[in-house]
Order: sequence, then C-alpha cells, then structure tokens
Amino acid sequence: MLNKIRNLNYLLIFLVILISFIGAAGLYSAAGGSYNPWASRHLIRLALFIILAFILALINIKFIYQFAYVFFILSLLLLLSVELIGVFGKGATRWINVFGFSIQPSELIKITIILALARFYHDLKFDEIKRIKNLFFPILILFLPFALVVMQPDLGTALSIAMLGILILFASGIRIWKFVLGIFVLIFSIPILLNYLQPYQKDRIFSFLNPEADALGRGYQLIQSKIALGSGGLTGKGFLEGSQSYLQYLPEKQTDFIFTLIGEEFGFIGTMFIILLFLLLISVCFYISIKSNHIFGRILSIGVGSNLFIYVIMNISMVSGLMPVVGIPLPLVSYGGSAMLAIIISLGLVLNAELNGNLKKIHNA
Amino acid sequence: MFYSEDKKQYSVLNRRTFLLYLLKVSFFSIVGWRLYNIQIKDSQKYKTLSKNNQIDVEIIYPLRGKIYDTNNKVLASNIKVFDVYIIPENTKNINKSLNELNQIIKINFSDRRKILELSKKVKKFQKIKVLENINWSQLEKIESNKLNIEGIFITQDYMRTYQFDNTVSHLIGYTNKPNREEVELPFISNMPNLEIGKDGIEKSFNPNLIGKSGQREIEVNSYGRVIREISRQDSQKGNDIQITIDLRIQQYALNLLKEHKAGSVVLMDINNGNILCMASTPSYNPNKIIQKPNKEYWDSILENELSPLTYRSIQGLYAPGSTFKMIVAIAGIIHGIIDTNTKHFCNGKIGLGDRLYHCWKNNGHGSMNVSDAIKESCDVFFYEISKKIGIDKISKVAEDFGLGKIYDIPLPNQKKGIVPSQDWKKKKYDESWYPGETLISAIGQGFVLTNPLQLAVMTSIIASNGKNVKPNIIKQNNEIEFEKLEKYQNAIQIIKRSMFKVVNETKGTAYNSRSVSAPFAGKTGTSQVRRITVAERESEDFRKKEVEWKKRDHALFVGYMPVENPRYAVSVVIEHGGSGASTAAPIAKEIFQFTKNLEI
Repeated sequence: MLNKIRNLNYLLIFLVILISFIGAAGLYSAAGGSYNPWASRHLIRLALFIILAFILALINIKFIYQFAYVFFILSLLLLLSVELIGVFGKGATRWINVFGFSIQPSELIKITIILALARFYHDLKFDEIKRIKNLFFPILILFLPFALVVMQPDLGTALSIAMLGILILFASGIRIWKFVLGIFVLIFSIPILLNYLQPYQKDRIFSFLNPEADALGRGYQLIQSKIALGSGGLTGKGFLEGSQSYLQYLPEKQTDFIFTLIGEEFGFIGTMFIILLFLLLISVCFYISIKSNHIFGRILSIGVGSNLFIYVIMNISMVSGLMPVVGIPLPLVSYGGSAMLAIIISLGLVLNAELNGNLKKIHNA
Repeated sequence: MFYSEDKKQYSVLNRRTFLLYLLKVSFFSIVGWRLYNIQIKDSQKYKTLSKNNQIDVEIIYPLRGKIYDTNNKVLASNIKVFDVYIIPENTKNINKSLNELNQIIKINFSDRRKILELSKKVKKFQKIKVLENINWSQLEKIESNKLNIEGIFITQDYMRTYQFDNTVSHLIGYTNKPNREEVELPFISNMPNLEIGKDGIEKSFNPNLIGKSGQREIEVNSYGRVIREISRQDSQKGNDIQITIDLRIQQYALNLLKEHKAGSVVLMDINNGNILCMASTPSYNPNKIIQKPNKEYWDSILENELSPLTYRSIQGLYAPGSTFKMIVAIAGIIHGIIDTNTKHFCNGKIGLGDRLYHCWKNNGHGSMNVSDAIKESCDVFFYEISKKIGIDKISKVAEDFGLGKIYDIPLPNQKKGIVPSQDWKKKKYDESWYPGETLISAIGQGFVLTNPLQLAVMTSIIASNGKNVKPNIIKQNNEIEFEKLEKYQNAIQIIKRSMFKVVNETKGTAYNSRSVSAPFAGKTGTSQVRRITVAERESEDFRKKEVEWKKRDHALFVGYMPVENPRYAVSVVIEHGGSGASTAAPIAKEIFQFTKNLEI
C-alpha cells in the first residue's frame, strides 16, 4: 500500500492541482475579487475529488475492470432517468439528484464509456477486432448515451461523446476504412441532427458563422469574449483588472467563458500557459498508456486523455470563435461540479492503471 | 482469456497512439495560433473595442455668464431648478409613486401614461424624467414626503432667469434651445442641448457668455449602468457682461411709457457714449418664453399687432419731424446761406410749383430768424432756406450727425433709416429729385426716417459741441475721447442757444415742460403719419380733434441736460402720441429730473 502511494504519478496530481488553482483564481476574479460564491466551493470540490481520486487510484484494478460494464449501465440508467424526468416532470433538465448532490449524468457517462470500451477491447483478441460483428458492441455503447444526450438536448456533450468514441476506436486499432466509413455516416447524420436542434441552438450556430451581423443579439457572446481575449494582449490587464468581466460584458464568465477572463487578465502568456499545462497533462496520460502492459490500461488512459483533449479544444475553440458556442466547460477551471468530478476521478483511474501497468493479466491482480 | 500480449497488436496500438498524439498536438497548435491572432495580432483592435465598451463620455455643460447693469445690479443669471426622475428598480409600485407625486405637483394624464409606457421599455435602473424645472418650494414638499414616494430621483439643473422681467428684455434678449442651423455654430461644439441667446446681448455675446464645456468619462457596464467616474474635467463658467444701462432710469422710463401704447426713450451719456437707458414699449417677458410650456405666451406675442418683439429704439423707424430742423439749420449756417440775422416771413404757407407747403401754424409766425424758427418750430423758415441749401448738403450734415447709420454696438437687427439725397433717390427709385421733396425733408418728413437711438446720438453730437459721439452699450473702463468736428463749432453754438429757448422761453414749443430743478434744452417734433387733406386743414381745430389712434401724429422730443456743459442727451418717441410738445417733452423732463436726482 505505502509502496503504491510512493509510486503515484505526482506530476499528474500536481498538474491537476495547479490547473484547478488557476481556475480558482479566475473564479475569484469573476466574483469581483471574492472567494464567494465560486472560488471557495471550487477548491472544496477539488479537495474532495482528489481524495476520491486517491481512493480510486489505490483500489484493486480488478475491481474496476470487473465492474466496468456495471458502471456503464448504472450511469446509462441515470442518464435515462434524467430523460424521463424531462418527459414526465417539469421540463427538460440535465441534472439529477443523487444522495443530495446535483450531478450531470452526461458528464459521468463519458468516463463509463471509456471503461466499457477499455474492457471490451481488453477482452477481445487482436484478430477478432477485424470482424464486423465486433463493431456492433462498441457502437452500441456509444450510440445509446449519444442518442439520450441528443434528446436532452445537449449538443456539445453529444458531439464530445461522438468524438470520444471515434478517438478510442481509432486508438484500439480497428481498420482505417471502417473508421473513415464511420466518419461519413456521422457527417451524413448532421442534417438529421439539425432537426433535433432547439431554436436557441440553431441561433448559436448561425451566430458563430457571422457574429458581427447581430452584435447585440445572438453574436453578442462571441464578440464580447473575443474582445476580452484580444484586449488582454500579450501580458493581460492584470489580475482582477479585467474590465470586460467585472463590467459584465462577458457572458457566463464563471463557467464556459472563464478562459476569456483569464485571457483578458493574464494575456497571451496566460492562455498559452494553461494550454501547455493541459498538453502536458494529456501527454502524461499518453505516456502512461504507452507504458501500460495491458489493453485495459492502455485504452483507459488514452480514453481519459482524449476526453480531456476534447473538453479543452472544444471550449477554447468555442470562446475564440473557431466553433459554435455549444456549452462545454474548461475542465478543472470552469465552475461546475459534475465535469470536475468526472475529470478528476477519471484521472484517478489513470493513476490506478499506471500503478498496475506491469500486470499482464488483470484477473490475477 | 484475458491476455493481451500479442506483439503485433502492441505495435499497431503504439502507432495509433502516436498518430493520436500528433493529432492532438496539431489541434493545440491550431488553437494556439488562433489565440495568437486574437491576442497579439489584432490586440489593438480589441483593446479599442474594450475601451468603447467600457467608457462613455458625458458632457458637462457650463454655467452661462451673468449680465449686470452699470451699477452691478444683476439683470440675467441662472437659478437652480430641479428635475424629478423615477427609477423603476427602486420602487415596488411605480403607479403608487406617481400618485404620491401627483398630490404635490400635478402630473397630467398623458405625461403619466408616457412615463408608465417608458418604464416598461427601458432598463429598470434607468431614470425617467417625470417633472422638469421645479422650484425650491415644490422641491421642499417633495423632499419632506420622500419616504412615501419610492424610487424618485432629483437632479439639479440651471435655468436662465431675468430678474426684471420685461424691463430690459429687448436689450438683453432671451435664451432657448438652438434650432437646426444654430446647432452648427462653432461655440455650441459638442453641446447640442445648450441653451443659447436668441436675441439682444444674449445673442451677440453667446461666445463670451457660454463658457467652456467640461467632460466626464464614466465607466459603464454591459447594461449601461454607471460604475464609476474615470476622469472629470469641469466646465468653465461663461464670462459675465456688464452693460451701460442704469436699471433705475430704465425702469423709470418704462414706467413713463406705460400710459402709451408704443414708444421709446433713449438716454445717453454724452461724454462716453454710454447708453444709460434704452426703453421700448410694448415689451415681452423673457421668463415666460423660457418657462415651458410657453406656446400660449408666444402666440399672444405674435398675435399682438404692436409687435412686442420689436425693439423700437433701434428697430423702429420714424420721420424725425421738427427734430430734423437742427440739421437743416446747421447746413444753412456752415454753407453761409443763413446767419443769426437772416429772416424769413412766415404767413402760414409757401408755394412751390403748383403746390402749397403749410406751416403747422395756420396763420403764420411772422418774421423769423433761425433762433426763433427753431424755438417756435416754424416750418416756412426751413422751407425757404432748404430751397437754397439743397438736399445733398443737408444729407451730408445729417450723416455727420449720426443719422442714417448702423452703429457698431452689439445689438442685432438695427434699422438704418433713410437720409435722402439725389443719388439715393436715383438708385432707389430711378427717379430724379423734385425740389418739393427738399422742402418736405427740411421739416423731417417725406423720405427721412430715423430710429430713436440715432436721434439721441444726433443730440449728443450737438450737445457735446460737435464731438463725434458713438453709442456704447458694453461698459468699458477706459476713458473714451471722441474727435471733434471742428467745422460745425460756430453753427452748433447758435443751434444750442435756440434749443435752450425751445424749452426755457415763452413761445418755445416745449416751454410747458421747462424744469427748474433740471434745466434742459431740446427740440420737439411732431411727425405726420398721413397727409392732411385740404378740408381738414380748413376746419379750424383739426389738431385738437379726437382722431383714431393709428392716424394720430408721432410725438418726438430730443434734448440735453444740463444746459451748460451738458452730460445727458435724450430722445423720446411716442408712437401716435399727438404732438411732441404735449406728449414727448414732458417725458424728457421727467427723465432729466430723475437722472439729475440720481447724481446727488
């Protein structure tokens, strides 16, 4: 046990804490120089989730492996119940109360998808991957949550689930042509997806295409967030000096747009620093993946790293106008418990995979 | 079963992992490049946008300069007034607040509806104007009930006010919002809501009185709410202006004019040209123009056929009548046509061509020299001498004595009047001059037209022994020395003696108005406004008859005081006053006595 604690990847833990503290600083500034209401709770959550991650890192990997499908089905049921509450209850929602905690199952399901796929490919012999029939199960694992999230409707999360699936399937070694075919199918399903979109979501996409056309309406968010980033310049306006933020030009500055606040106050240097921290964190996941002797660990680490990557790229692209505003938070930085919980426990799983990387057979561990 | 040790699989996985990593690094590069473009390359653009987002510039209007009379009495200043606003977010029930306010100051129904409609449209922290320019006592009532009236907000403003209502209104003018053309004026610059002078001194001295605007940079948030003041540059108060008018005399003169429908009194200080009084009636009350609503008052002014907006002292043109005779006499003397001994016999009329020219005295004055002719205002004497002098020489003298001119004083729309000459008629009517017209002009009728200020200047030049007195309305500290018109010295002495006789000797036309306390000299004038028919002239008492006001003669008097070393010159014009002797001269007497009393 002590040995395990000693061998934990402290670089990964340090990166998580550092990024979360930068997030707390941003939230402190977003509240106009106050720990309340966001920064303090952000830090409390960090502490709780880190403890949770330690526990997950130290428990037997066999346990995680065995319950991978169970976790997936449980989280799928949670997602379904959100859907049912939406249908029979008080209108659409993304949250559900579990033991007094309000959580977003759509954030958790990404982690259980990774677990389920990791187990599936771990169990599959390499020759069998080629078989078409072995594509059925992974696609089902991806499609069920995807469909449920689309129906919520949460465009951003649905998109990130699809991307996560593609990246994991690619990493697991399925044939490139199948992969290309899959992407085609996805592209052709976009018009059908558009039909499911709520008017406000369509607005977001159109405002992305031409934000200046309606500067005070739909394009407002995007223009203001670009102004915040751009006016930060190289070195930024200084901590707590972001005028875009404290004059409330920045929309949702404590959640999805926190990156622009940091960009305004710390400039290009600040944004680059965050991006590099994330790249480093993802690199650590990839390094653990390569090092791992078993497929479960490999897919798990690569999946968690890819999940992180999707969050970061989507969020920054969104606030810098590279893609429509779809409501994806910046992991560990944005205020919000569910995404933070999902990210930290998934990194806890990666820590576990590293500790057990030398194993060849998980069931013997 | 749970093994996964196939070498081939691992090499595929490693390759895929590497490709995936490359993909991720390249995506990060794209995002990095994007951020570089926004934060470094286009940073300046976004910095400007951020500033614009953030900063609003508010203009601080300057306080308009005051206007004082010669004794530092305030004639125009600014009073504090208050505007009452309501801020929707500060009241639970805007209707109730308006009801409470209505108990104190009536808010009319349509205004109320507008306020309520507006309160639904604007942002809830934006203030909506409910009442404008309320005064102290109304403010006190509101303040004492403030607890009951939720959400009200009071701001201070300034309103131009004129302490003496219509006493100096023509001269000072009034202020109002600029019209479309005036907005372009340079002194308005960035203050489209500035009240500017529309007439009189207020108009002429706009650039001095306005002062300089200040500005306040304020930080506003995305809802337009003001967060803080960033910088403030206070406005600069406009310059004060002191005019030469003595309010006491002005008020006294207006009081004397009260019993007449229309007229003017001008009093000048001969030594420096300062206009001490320039009263015109009817006048208007500028305070009633400034206070909104003013439509009713405006309409009443515009409908008044006496045209209260006309400043008769400089804009009213009158035939000078007999007050012009001094000019003719001076012309006769300097051209050697008459001297003190030259006599003409007046039998009441003379003939020229096929027309008869009458003296005002039907049976004639008998034998007259120049002194008697002025004293008794004999027309025939002047008919006779004007025939010999000719109109051009008369008009030259008239111009030297300040007639037919616009003066260099800062009052808009002065009327020039007419000093007729042969050239003038040729140009104006393309007709040659008829000898009979010289006769008519010699008694200040016909083409000759002057305004009351010109008559006062003429009298000043005579009284000062030919100093080229120029009128002045803005008080100056430096001594003014006017050049002397040497060639008129001898003639002026003769004329001044005659003018003394007009007032102070029996048979003088203004003898009834002589003053013991303030002896003065002068000349009456009565100018016809229509031709008198032969039938009327034959009826013995046509002058005494009650004639319709509009058809009555204008009454004029010009004079100076004291007789020796004169200091003051006056002109009095009463429209349709009857005769100069009966109506104008007594007013001049009162003015002189009042002015003399002030000196003690």
